[in-house]
Amino acid sequence: MSVFMDLNIVNSHDKNKLTSIIETAAHLGYSTVAINYVIEPQKKKQEIPKPHSVSDIFEKFPMVQGKSTPIKVLNRLTIVASDASHFRPTNDYKLFDLVAVYPKTEKLFHAACMTFDVDIICIAVGERQPFHFKRAPVNGAIDRGVFFDISYTAAIRDSSMRRYTIANATCLMEVCKGKNIIISSGAEKSLEMRGPYDIANLGLVFGLSEGDAKAAVSTNCRSVLLHGETRATASGVVYTMKKPHTLEEQIEDKPASKKAKTETA
Amino acid sequence: MVRFKSRYLLCEVCVPERNSLQLLDERAIHHTLRAAVNRAHGDYGSALFNIGVNVKYLNALTGVVFIRCRKAHYRLIWSALPFITHLEDRGQTQNVQCFFNCIHVGGTIKTSQKFLAQYNRQQLHRMLLDCNTDAEKQHVRRALLSCSVGNVKREEADDEEGSDDDDE
Repeated sequence: MSVFMDLNIVNSHDKNKLTSIIETAAHLGYSTVAINYVIEPQKKKQEIPKPHSVSDIFEKFPMVQGKSTPIKVLNRLTIVASDASHFRPTNDYKLFDLVAVYPKTEKLFHAACMTFDVDIICIAVGERQPFHFKRAPVNGAIDRGVFFDISYTAAIRDSSMRRYTIANATCLMEVCKGKNIIISSGAEKSLEMRGPYDIANLGLVFGLSEGDAKAAVSTNCRSVLLHGETRATASGVVYTMKKPHTLEEQIEDKPASKKAKTETA
Repeated sequence: MVRFKSRYLLCEVCVPERNSLQLLDERAIHHTLRAAVNRAHGDYGSALFNIGVNVKYLNALTGVVFIRCRKAHYRLIWSALPFITHLEDRGQTQNVQCFFNCIHVGGTIKTSQKFLAQYNRQQLHRMLLDCNTDAEKQHVRRALLSCSVGNVKREEADDEEGSDDDDE
């Protein structure tokens, strides 16, 4: 049994809604979920929201179905970009575990695949994809380890949206041949979540093969997380963190010079 | 002689309030499935649905359903399940919001039943974590000890009799 992840749960200000979605996800067997903060910069000069600390949501995280570990909650930022200036890598992005971009034009899609420092590229699910997927950028994205995200909630809500989702997904599959795809929920209500096995089977409708469809909810998501970690660190090799305070007691018997350092730090 | 091979989809019907599970009946589930398959796969899907798909078992207390399909096209039926958002019944005016979560796919009804017993036991273990008082904990522990496949069989037989009574 593999570890399932759902990397798109739409953030809402209603805390009860969020908790009920995460509880449902744990019940369905997802080990990791990501709360998605969507920003559309074209409206006005929009501030990038600070992610809420995940420990605020729950005092005790619900246990995952069939496992003895609590569910892991991450933060994800999605930038809806219709102009090249909308994606400005700033320090604000580093607060999020994952960064996604939803390109609206072909030029931006190309840039997102080849140059942008992101983990996930979203494709349109609620409307017709306004451009064709070209082989060069998609292959570039696959080489760089950037993943394409299909969210299925739109398909559940409405019949015409379902057509768009399936059409866009099939177009993408023709180009990327089932590689580097993740399927996520995009749920706003707990009733819009679906079980991981159902989604793996739904992947067949999107034109994925059996193995690729299962990878789209499990191993590919793990690759996304690892890619997100390398973005926050120096090539995934070196990273810095604050020293936890509990260590101070343990190093009492260390030389005096070292002890003095930790106290000033 | 080769037998017909089937697949049994063991699905859990998730509803926002547990009380509404009592409204479930096999006909409503069957009708909902038929409508969903028709919406997702059109006439072809409906044709395949008419041969070999039936609702074998329904537990209205835990919301568990066994759906039997032909092995050749169970994936087609299964791929329509995520698109179910509410139960459709011709007689009832109220729509129960729900979704289907497939927890197991089995080749025989026997293995599916074994899985279900194990799954329900797991649910009791999960309940144990949420218990606040000692009395509750004792209650769940007793329930855990009392469930084995033999007992489950008897209980299920009782349940089926019960649901038959309800239908009449």
